[in-house]
Amino acid sequence: MREKSPIKRAATFIAFNGLSLFAFFSVLIIPFIYGLILTFTDWNAISDTFRFIGFANYATVFSDKEFVRQFLITIRYVVISAVLCNLFAFTIAYFLTSGMRGQNLLRGGFFIPNLIGGIILGYIWKFIFANVLTQLGKGFGIAWLKTSFLTNPDRAVWAMIIVTVWQYAGYLMMIYIAGFVGIPRDVQEAADIDGAHGLRKLGSVTIPLMVPSFNICLFITLSRCFMAYDLNLALTNGAPYGSTQLAAMHVYQKAFMSKQFGVGQAEAIVLFIVVALISVTQVLLNKKREVEV
Amino acid sequence: MKHSRFIALLLTLLMLSTMVTIGAAAEGEVKLTYYSTSAEVNAMFETMFAKYHELNPNVTVELIPTGVGMGQQEQLQSLFASGNAPTFMNIDPANILDYEEKLLVFDENTDWFQYMNPGAIEAGRMNGKVYGLPFSTQGYGLCYNKRVVESVIPGFDPATINTQDALRTFFETLDAAGVVPTLIHGANWSVGCHYLGLAYAVHGKDAESGEAFIESLIDGTTDIATDPLFQGYMDTYDLLVKYNLRKDDPLVGDYNADNAAFGAGECATFFMGDWMWTVLGTLENKDTEYGYIPVPWSNDPTAYGNTEVVVSMPKVMCIDASQSTPEQQAAALELLKWMLTSAEGQEYFIQAGFSMPYNNVRKDAVYNSMTQAIAGYSAVGKTINIGCFTYLTGDAWAKTGDMMLKYTVGAIDRAQLAQEINDFWKTQTKH
Repeated sequence: MREKSPIKRAATFIAFNGLSLFAFFSVLIIPFIYGLILTFTDWNAISDTFRFIGFANYATVFSDKEFVRQFLITIRYVVISAVLCNLFAFTIAYFLTSGMRGQNLLRGGFFIPNLIGGIILGYIWKFIFANVLTQLGKGFGIAWLKTSFLTNPDRAVWAMIIVTVWQYAGYLMMIYIAGFVGIPRDVQEAADIDGAHGLRKLGSVTIPLMVPSFNICLFITLSRCFMAYDLNLALTNGAPYGSTQLAAMHVYQKAFMSKQFGVGQAEAIVLFIVVALISVTQVLLNKKREVEV
Repeated sequence: MKHSRFIALLLTLLMLSTMVTIGAAAEGEVKLTYYSTSAEVNAMFETMFAKYHELNPNVTVELIPTGVGMGQQEQLQSLFASGNAPTFMNIDPANILDYEEKLLVFDENTDWFQYMNPGAIEAGRMNGKVYGLPFSTQGYGLCYNKRVVESVIPGFDPATINTQDALRTFFETLDAAGVVPTLIHGANWSVGCHYLGLAYAVHGKDAESGEAFIESLIDGTTDIATDPLFQGYMDTYDLLVKYNLRKDDPLVGDYNADNAAFGAGECATFFMGDWMWTVLGTLENKDTEYGYIPVPWSNDPTAYGNTEVVVSMPKVMCIDASQSTPEQQAAALELLKWMLTSAEGQEYFIQAGFSMPYNNVRKDAVYNSMTQAIAGYSAVGKTINIGCFTYLTGDAWAKTGDMMLKYTVGAIDRAQLAQEINDFWKTQTKH
């Protein structure tokens, strides 16, 4: 068969990949590079002109006490959310693959919150925390429910964690269910014959075989929680007094409200690097634990 | 093969033709976009624009609405940055500084500007040029519910509250009668911009005095803790916090709920501006008679600020000159003329309760009691000039407002509050 000419090959490549490459570059690569360039400028997000100021913005990032404080709040939120999300999702997946009655209906029910957008979800829960729970508190005379969860710095963070778990647990549950279903029957039967039941079987057979599921789920929760913005905006908007402002929201505020786009963008880059490092390390570490059957 | 090529060609042509149709408007037609930061009256602008389209079928105006307290500045910035700048807009005068290079400079000799009240044109002037046209005069102070107050103090005269002690006695009397004396809206814009703004503005009767005070904080030459106005207003604030309807959970900051509570007579006074009528006025079973009391900061009844309320022209109409075509700019100017100076246009503002700073507004316009009360202070010159708001832009009110909220719940004391305010201003730059 005659080799295609380079021009024809290029044409074929463009015909099949051109559109997706164009989309990939225009919405991902170019904005990323442009964003990176802006970190070296003093652009105020409005003006048509800006000056290059070297690494000054990065220096500002590390001296921005507020960013560091909010980064720590974010880490706390991410760690607790990730643990609870996975724990909860794994538990319900375990029970919903045990052949209990109505498990399909329950699976659907747990999955539904994931179909609601973060903003709407935030407003729904804001109403629950600020109006429903406080009315219940007043009606039944429960002191700790009388005031809104969203007006106390500690409780507001927990409110966000509760909603995050509610939102993601159903989604992660589906991945864990796939994991449970994917465990070969012969291995399980072998374990049963060897007399391994209940927790012993779970710990020694099921969980090691489900490491890939844990891997994916942890990656999803870590990256999504680090980037949480919509829920943060709709549920607390940083209130009370900025105590629940997560890193992504701080970046946004810095860029648009404080009109220090360069600093905000530099913080976004720092956030990107941290999230990438943590996520990749997590995946690499857990990859080693994966068991081949 | 030929067949599929033909289909591909057809699809491409179809896509291109759609793009062309979307991009081009029919000849003679002008499409304008309007960005409104007066979120409480989105519906008013929509009906107004629909009417204008009826009168001028070639002009279509699309409203880009915003929400109360919801990222208005960021949204406008992204509209400008993404090449989708609104043709015209209403913004806070303070924001003109940010957009100076992009906005149309109005010709002060435009014939219909003669209808503006004396001095009104100053609301939109920055660095000597006019970028914005005002459409409302609004004010704030301690609004009081006449029915509730007079149920305890028959024949109550707001002029008697001209010192801090008088306010204290007033609150104590109400409290003793089982009436909740006041309400603070626990949101950073209310306590940071409007309340704390008093402590800056009352330094003098002109805008420059307040600005000079803020500039001295930026320089670090003044420690706000040593400022008698700051201390005075914070003493009064303590009083408001003590008698706050929401004292059990002060930071809820639900604008609609607070308006509803005040309108229903759950408390006697509310630190808020007359713009609240746009929400409160729509509620059922509300009281309709309200008045205004100044927020006194000292015990000297002759001191400036103790007998005055804030009156300002908080929003101005501007036209974008950076991305809009000359035709769009001209159409927007023509539309503004209709909105601001024609009887038909003005009627929408009057119905929404706006007191317009134009001298051709029909004289028999009846305003709600809040607007009337503010106008009463204006008529006798008992007003506070809040021109230093030019500094309370960006995150200034959000940051200092959050500090005030922390103080409200006792998370920090007054010395720490003063320190945080000092530290914040030192990070800012002068205009």
